[in-house]
Amino acid sequence: MLLLIAPLLAALPPGDDDWTIQAATVHTVSGAPIENGFVRVQGGKIAAVGKGGGGATLECAAVTPGLIDLALGIDTGPLSVEQSSETAARLSASDGLDLFSYRWERALRSGITTALAQPADYDVIGGLGLVLKTGGAPTLAARLVKPEACLRGAIGAQPSNGNAIPRFQEPQTFYFRRPTTRMGVEWVFRKAFHDTLQGQGEDDPATAADHAVLRRVLAGELPLVVQAKATQDVRTAIYLKEEFGIPRLVLDHAIEAWREPELLKRSGVAVILPPFTADGRHADGFVNDSYFLPLDAARKLHEWGVPFALSAHEGAGAGARLADQAAAAQRGGLPLAAALEAVTLTPARLLGVEARVGSLEAGKDADLVLWNGPPLQPTSRIIGVLLQGRLVLDPRSK
Amino acid sequence: MKRLLAPALLLAALLAAPLPAQQGGRLVIEAGRIVTQAGPDIENGRIVIDGGRITAVGKAEEVEKPWDATVIGGKAFVAFPGFVEAHTSQGMDRANENIDVAPFLDIRDSIDPVAYFFEDCLRQGITTINVQQGANCVVGGRGMVVRPIGMTVEEMAMRPLFGLKLSTRPKGGKSRATQMQALRFAFEDLRLYLEGLVEKERDDAGYAKREALFQGRDLEAEAAQGRAMGGTAWKVDGLELVPRGALDERYAPLLELLEGRYTAFVHCGDPLDVVHALEVVRAQGILARTVLVIEQDCWKAADRIAEAGVPVILEGALLDVQRDPITGEEVETFVPKVLQEKGIRFALSSEDPNTRAPAYQAALAIAHGMERTAALDAVTRVPAEILGLGDEVGSLERGKLGNVLLCSGDPLSVTTWVEHVVIEGRLVYERAKDVRNKHLLEGVQPLGTAPPTSAEAGEDPEHEHEKADEDAGAEKDAGDEQKGKDEDKEKEDGGR
Repeated sequence: MLLLIAPLLAALPPGDDDWTIQAATVHTVSGAPIENGFVRVQGGKIAAVGKGGGGATLECAAVTPGLIDLALGIDTGPLSVEQSSETAARLSASDGLDLFSYRWERALRSGITTALAQPADYDVIGGLGLVLKTGGAPTLAARLVKPEACLRGAIGAQPSNGNAIPRFQEPQTFYFRRPTTRMGVEWVFRKAFHDTLQGQGEDDPATAADHAVLRRVLAGELPLVVQAKATQDVRTAIYLKEEFGIPRLVLDHAIEAWREPELLKRSGVAVILPPFTADGRHADGFVNDSYFLPLDAARKLHEWGVPFALSAHEGAGAGARLADQAAAAQRGGLPLAAALEAVTLTPARLLGVEARVGSLEAGKDADLVLWNGPPLQPTSRIIGVLLQGRLVLDPRSK
Repeated sequence: MKRLLAPALLLAALLAAPLPAQQGGRLVIEAGRIVTQAGPDIENGRIVIDGGRITAVGKAEEVEKPWDATVIGGKAFVAFPGFVEAHTSQGMDRANENIDVAPFLDIRDSIDPVAYFFEDCLRQGITTINVQQGANCVVGGRGMVVRPIGMTVEEMAMRPLFGLKLSTRPKGGKSRATQMQALRFAFEDLRLYLEGLVEKERDDAGYAKREALFQGRDLEAEAAQGRAMGGTAWKVDGLELVPRGALDERYAPLLELLEGRYTAFVHCGDPLDVVHALEVVRAQGILARTVLVIEQDCWKAADRIAEAGVPVILEGALLDVQRDPITGEEVETFVPKVLQEKGIRFALSSEDPNTRAPAYQAALAIAHGMERTAALDAVTRVPAEILGLGDEVGSLERGKLGNVLLCSGDPLSVTTWVEHVVIEGRLVYERAKDVRNKHLLEGVQPLGTAPPTSAEAGEDPEHEHEKADEDAGAEKDAGDEQKGKDEDKEKEDGGR
């Protein structure tokens, strides 16, 4: 009698958000992959991960942690750019976030469960970024993982783009922004940190607030995420790091970071790579040039011991998603384990949210991606997504 | 020497590696596994190519190795038939003509043998390519099936004057109504023209013949081409009175289309374009020789395509993502699956450079639940059949052309590379010698543009010389060159 009842009980899901996922391979990321393993989910958290199992409520070929994209770009329309000042460290992207955009769901469907939202790159120092879940109730409170996760900055041509003074007009008016050159961008950066160290201009409350944030960056409490596309931008960012002693620097969109192995190793920066393109070229609309990203850039960074994350920049179509970036990186010679880490645990660590997300360990958020084959391969597809234990893409629907 | 121009040299370096087997010579390809696409895979197999065609495929111990044949490959390789690109408008100097109805054009005149596209085809293992005019037309020119090798279009040509492009997707500046009107009128105009010719011949018997004799044309040869109209949907009575050579060449290709000489490749951008396309080809009696070139949205017309029984080439994305304008909900449809479920014969092809590789497209189809064989067929056998080359390419079988890829592993694995490409028994690509692939993979800086390492600096005067030459020629390298100089400068300044 007991023998009969036991499997029946096991087959019944104990609660709406309680699952036992059984997979041919469980990629925990924090440890070695488990063959024929299970992940038990209770109350939105991972209750247990292990070998064997039974009473599966969901089955798939492979399960990985939910993917994390540090350059999702959903929030960063031109309207998230503050025009009154180039240094806006005190502002937070949270105030400009559209949580109702259909693009969150698109990201979620492609396996991205956690993302970094930051101000756009037209300010030299754009403001604070926050880490949040890509789904759930459309309130900040419900989705927030970390409210002040990083400070966003940009080096290169973008912050000065469009700031040139039109001919035959008075240059000294409120309506024209500074800086107008790449040198000017660098100067604004340096001045902000210099003034912070000197405590200059802090009778203005806005400046004081900016400096308070910059001090947290200098103390290593906040990582500085800087857009640095070309080789010279990468160099400038690293020189700034070394000049002011910025402990945690992350180079975002670092197309040509691979050209500077010695600088990367010496300075201890982390890198966020942009999506790979068919011909390696990344056209830059702001200057008349294009930058080159070889297919093995991720492998190089991996071999040099530089922490790096891959990003999709909101690529939505087949071949352009975050999982596809991880596949492309493998084509360039990156091992699967490292590719998986670059879209899960590394980005979590860079922003200090690894206690909650990034790997399959008991106690972490139950953000899971279910695959119909080996993960991060073009022959496999994401068939299921769990976000904090809630099934948002059902693997049983097809 | 005049022909040794810079692009030619680059391609020559890539392609004209010493050929182990010239046309007519014998080549033996050995592989740890042969995926024939015509039956089960062969472990430890051997392929013999003689005179450009496969003379034997089988297990190594069962296939005799000719004593004088060159042998390539080995156990580490997987042999696979060359991919067939079902339809593309790349590799040309401008793919579109601004004349609405231009069937008299021949893309032979615009194919660029040294286009990067063809080189890239080899890299991806595409050995047969159907090049057709771009879709921005009403009636386009005649296309051509080529192999991606050769310095001249003649060397590349497999099937010259193959296919004629039509489009029901509105050409730039046209509405759907004017597009359809223009397309229907193209055929109506042909009919009026032919009737005019016959009427003139009847009014003035022998005029066309006298004219032909005056022009010194070969009337017997023209008669051998047939005179009467061979179309099935409509005919112009009395066309046999007019010698073929008297037809204006602006009209002749359209008449030949109706007579079944060309496959019609009809481009459809939207589901309703499919409906229009089928209506036109039915009205003109060319349904049996029609192939629809569809974009992803056209899966909504799958029932109509299935009912018409025409094959399709999916040129758009494989995954159709549609957002409901009212509910905001996004729905993803994997188009090949829909086509397969409706029993439509389809080939995959893509104009998106990021997803263009046939191996990638087949992999994607597998990810979405298609069977491996069916997915691979859609980039080999099926396009070959659609192009009427089913007996020539698309699988590794005795009698077919010796188009073979040697891959470093399973052709669908993301870490696999095409190592060797053999076209008609000639080894035409070796990855080890592909400098551009090395650049794409590793970011190697082009010769003369890399910053000198400390060991190299100042000891190679010839190197400097080359650098100056490249400055004058290669514009696109100017950026890298500049960067190199910047770095030099910084080194002198001792960094920062």
